[in-house]
Amino acid sequence: MSETALQPTYSAPASPAAGWHGLVRMAARGMTLIVAAVVVMQVLRTVGAIELGFTSWQPVAIVVLLWFVVVDAAVYLTGGLKGQRLLFLLPALQITLSLVIFPTVFGLAVAFTQWDIGGISGPVFNGLDNFRYMATDERFWNALGNNFKYVLVAVPFQYVVAFAIALLLNQSIRGQKFFRVAFLLPFMISPVAVGWMIGRSILDANRGVVPKLLASIGIERVSFFDQPVPAFLGIVAMDSWISIPFMMVMLLAGLQALPTEVFEAAQIDGASGWKRFWDITFPLMLPVSITAVILRVIFEFKLVDVVRVVTAGGPGGATDTLSLFIYREGVESGNVGYATAMAMVFLVIVLVSVTALLVFLNRRVRDVVY
Amino acid sequence: MATNSRILRASLDRRTMLKAATGAAAGFSAWGVPGKSYQRTLAQDDTLAQILAIPGAGGQPTEADMERVGELCLRSDKQGAFTGQTVTFIGLNNAGFHNNIFRPLTRAWEEYTGATIQWIDVPQAEIFSRVQQGVATGEIEFDVLEGGAPWEGDILGRGLAGAMPDWVKEQIDIDDYVRLLQAPVGTWDGVTYRISIDGDCHNFNYRSDVFASPELAAEWSASGGEGDWSVPTSWQQVQAQTQFLNGKQIDGSDIYGYLDVVKPGGGFSWYFFASRASAYAKHPDSPAWLFDPDDMAPYVNNEAFVRALQDMIDVIGVEPPDQLNADLLVTLGQILGGTGAMTAWWGDVGSNVYTSDQSVVQDKMSFSILPGSPDVYNNESGAWDTVGDGQLNFAPNEAYIGWGLYVMQEAEARGVSEAAWDLAAHLGGRDLSMWTAIYPSGFQPYRNSHFELQYWVDAGYPPEFAEAYLASESDSYNHPNGAIEPRIPGIFDYYIAAEEEVALAVAGEKTAQEALDSAAARWEEITDRNDRESQISLYQAALGM
Repeated sequence: MSETALQPTYSAPASPAAGWHGLVRMAARGMTLIVAAVVVMQVLRTVGAIELGFTSWQPVAIVVLLWFVVVDAAVYLTGGLKGQRLLFLLPALQITLSLVIFPTVFGLAVAFTQWDIGGISGPVFNGLDNFRYMATDERFWNALGNNFKYVLVAVPFQYVVAFAIALLLNQSIRGQKFFRVAFLLPFMISPVAVGWMIGRSILDANRGVVPKLLASIGIERVSFFDQPVPAFLGIVAMDSWISIPFMMVMLLAGLQALPTEVFEAAQIDGASGWKRFWDITFPLMLPVSITAVILRVIFEFKLVDVVRVVTAGGPGGATDTLSLFIYREGVESGNVGYATAMAMVFLVIVLVSVTALLVFLNRRVRDVVY
Repeated sequence: MATNSRILRASLDRRTMLKAATGAAAGFSAWGVPGKSYQRTLAQDDTLAQILAIPGAGGQPTEADMERVGELCLRSDKQGAFTGQTVTFIGLNNAGFHNNIFRPLTRAWEEYTGATIQWIDVPQAEIFSRVQQGVATGEIEFDVLEGGAPWEGDILGRGLAGAMPDWVKEQIDIDDYVRLLQAPVGTWDGVTYRISIDGDCHNFNYRSDVFASPELAAEWSASGGEGDWSVPTSWQQVQAQTQFLNGKQIDGSDIYGYLDVVKPGGGFSWYFFASRASAYAKHPDSPAWLFDPDDMAPYVNNEAFVRALQDMIDVIGVEPPDQLNADLLVTLGQILGGTGAMTAWWGDVGSNVYTSDQSVVQDKMSFSILPGSPDVYNNESGAWDTVGDGQLNFAPNEAYIGWGLYVMQEAEARGVSEAAWDLAAHLGGRDLSMWTAIYPSGFQPYRNSHFELQYWVDAGYPPEFAEAYLASESDSYNHPNGAIEPRIPGIFDYYIAAEEEVALAVAGEKTAQEALDSAAARWEEITDRNDRESQISLYQAALGM
């Protein structure tokens, strides 16, 4: 097939009058100026520098949306073929700008303010005070430490169990489809529901089935969540029950994509089952494993729902997570400035941790595979 | 009295008209719904007699029951006046309470007036922060707010609510409120904003059968227990009896002593700690017990609060397993389910004993004001004052001062202000409130008329039970040394900070003093964030200083 045949046949729009072009460009530039002015004005109002501006950010959002439409239209109408191509990219960029970049930049600004959402003064610039306070806030360090504990305890456990199940389900066993669906079910249930069903119902010290069963055989007054270590492990267990299927699906997909020839050759050479797993399956699965582990690490850093429902971070902060602490501080206590500062620091910590882990694991992969 | 007569005349006029309309309903759509007729009553006593029998004590009201109550209590004369209007109502989603009962109770109002109610259901632990967010972002999307008196600094102090029209005051008979709920509660700068739908104080709920048990009395004596085995009147007795009841049974079931609420819950768990502390911390010579009114220096880490927290720590090990994770609703379930012998709670325990399917403690509960203390901490002298002569310092915790309805300024801008007030007046109406006080609703008695014992007896409550319950409520509301809640901005921020630290101490992560020192430091920060000078003046005003 010739290259010409693969090339889509674009036809440039009919060339509009030059004046019309200019008008559209002017409208787009004018709108850009207006948006810039409105955003600057509203930012200055929000930080208390000026009185002028809107009482809420809603009108700003509407102006920005209008700007997006005008800019997109201008690019399409005046950009010719290049403009048409750009139009495929622009909406995605605009969405990223408005939903990711702007909130991050805005959040960064808020992190340097004292902003009590119930306070009269609104946000007030306070320099590095939030970060200094964070350095001495034992609640912050406790929650952050717990996050790393969750990652270190839960993720390896989940990986091992998920891999084992994936290997089992990769075999030709009877009821294979049923088991695949059955093992996926916990992943389909809301973590909040799991917290209620298991943590607050089945394991509930006063009304739960498990404590009652234990009481019937003489083990009285069992409580799973009133001591730090059992409570922590209980949360890990529930989180694992929800998360293992996710890892299992990824690993199973990886296993099914492995070339069968290598295993057949190894079998002919007389390699044992363990040898085939350790020398062939595991190394070949490392790229998939890394992806699964990295994703789980990220999810583990964001752990909130089960903890909130079952222990609310207790007893004594033993199960608290930084995400939950940020939520409590920002939403329940209304200490928005400090909560945002913590969120920013947390973002950096997660980025650095995940990047470091990725680099480390990739090196290990190279060592093992090549 | 003259006012009441006027209300009665006005009501009768409306009711006469409504009666005629009801009669004609068979022929035309008298209420906006073809063929639908509303059975209203002509006199208040008739209304009460009818609604209090729905379903009668011993049965939990169904949704149909509540619809019927809402229909019988309908006093609006705005037939079809709000057709096409939507009133947005934000309230709590506690199972079986609050918004869940408002829905059926307002169905007749919706049909009659033509308005539609859009409900925003929020968990109790989140409603304050949800409202705060709306205030801070200027996005108040609700017209009627179910809010607590403690938030009035945040809501009324910022001019976010609309002033109550005179016709509403008349319709709801605002003069019938108990003294605690009269101005300044519900008002700001002399203007009335709030329709009360609840009272609120913590009373002491105890198992009468436990303290009447001869077996337990004998064991108590044999174990060297001090004094007779009887209902405790001091926190010292509560502590001793809670220790004693560890491992005991009654009627073949385990029974525990006092039930604490420790799990942080958006500020609401604070009240349970405060109830333990008020007798130690609230000195009769000063209305201030949380802050120094001169500079807002916190009292929360003084010896009184530390002693109360140490009390909690000392008995948490003999409370039910996992009590550390029991929130306020779990504890309500525990006391109704027969697990504990004593707890401080709002009046909901009393109104649920005979009317909730969850309850197994019928004929086994009684009530008093919160226990007292033989000595009380004096913040002026920094020392404990002994009451002497075997007397105790009682200081009922006027916890929360009840839920109320506030119509927001935004309702005016959206053109639904009158509908919003009419809806709020329906829910805060005198007859309807009697029903919500008697049956499970999340609300407790808050009008003088609610304390008529006969109404409770007519509804099927045992007279002795109802008398003890009403006395515990009334004596708490009217107590000269009641621990009053300050209506200052950010009050729940203070409570959230304190309840977190209390939970840490009870879990053994900090000592009582360390935890409350941390709480005090956080309270200082919150005061600064909210402008200390402004907080001082508002706190002094809230205390009537």
